[in-house]
Amino acid sequence: MLVIRVLLGGLLLVSGALKVAHPTDLAASIAGFRLLPATVVGPIALALPYIELLLGAYLIAGLFTRIVATIAAIQFLLYGGAIASAVLRHISAACGCFGPNDVSVADWPHVGFDLALAAASAFVAYGAPGALAFDRKLRRA
Amino acid sequence: MTKRSLILATAVLVAVIAIGAVLVYFFGPGHRQVQTASQSPVVGKAQVGQPAPAFEVSSTAGLFDLGKATKPVFLEVFATWCPHCQRETAVVDRLYRKYGSRVEFVGVSGSDTGMDGASPASELDVLNWARRFKVTYPVAYDPLQNVANLYLQGGFPTFAIISKNKKIAYLDSGEIAYNDLDSALDKALSGH
Repeated sequence: MLVIRVLLGGLLLVSGALKVAHPTDLAASIAGFRLLPATVVGPIALALPYIELLLGAYLIAGLFTRIVATIAAIQFLLYGGAIASAVLRHISAACGCFGPNDVSVADWPHVGFDLALAAASAFVAYGAPGALAFDRKLRRA
Repeated sequence: MTKRSLILATAVLVAVIAIGAVLVYFFGPGHRQVQTASQSPVVGKAQVGQPAPAFEVSSTAGLFDLGKATKPVFLEVFATWCPHCQRETAVVDRLYRKYGSRVEFVGVSGSDTGMDGASPASELDVLNWARRFKVTYPVAYDPLQNVANLYLQGGFPTFAIISKNKKIAYLDSGEIAYNDLDSALDKALSGH
């Protein structure tokens, strides 16, 4: 449980860090899925890396674990849904999952990966807060 | 630090991120436009309504000579490294499936840089690109970028639809929606 929580947190930290300096590339990747209007894509591309960094840091620290892991699970489900819809519409959208250098085309294995991450996040939320979590200290306080 | 203050700090942080993103998007420099084309300094002499500049290339379907084309022509000028071109392949493939028997399709590479953004462009690079992105329409490597110099509209990909009488019916660059290209092709076929 602790290992999964830290791995998920680490993954979100890396993913957010790789995107944070490239909002224009991220916007192009999100726009490539052709699901959202441009006025929404821009702010999402600017905010998403910071949200991922925040979720990652909170998961690693075990702070508000249940709610943070639930948000992460929803986020991974949304990613998986967006990729599945692109695959079904035959859109070869670049995943952009790990920054501008990730030009792998969104496909079914990506959907599977996101669903697995969503399941892992749900598991963390269910078993929250788990060992070495800041939440435990808060409970005692 | 109490739970209450941590919740408050988190809420403030999330609000700052959300409000900051909206402010930067609407008032910050350069973020307002979501890029849909990879910039290129080249703007060719091709113009809508004008005779289409002649070109010939050796494509994966054989020699393509605009002067000998008997059907309307759908031309794409792309760069293998351009993410917008990579995404747009699915749109062009769909159009090719619909119009392939009535329109001549040809994609021509228009950059001297390869798919990795560093190595020089080559015939093999174009073929690898076509294989990687499951391109089914004919594509050609143009070593001197002659077609790009004639048709490119400042960005990759650039699309031109050339009517049967060899006039340019449509010319635009960027990730263009399927419906827009579909109606442009429909118009070119009906002779409007």
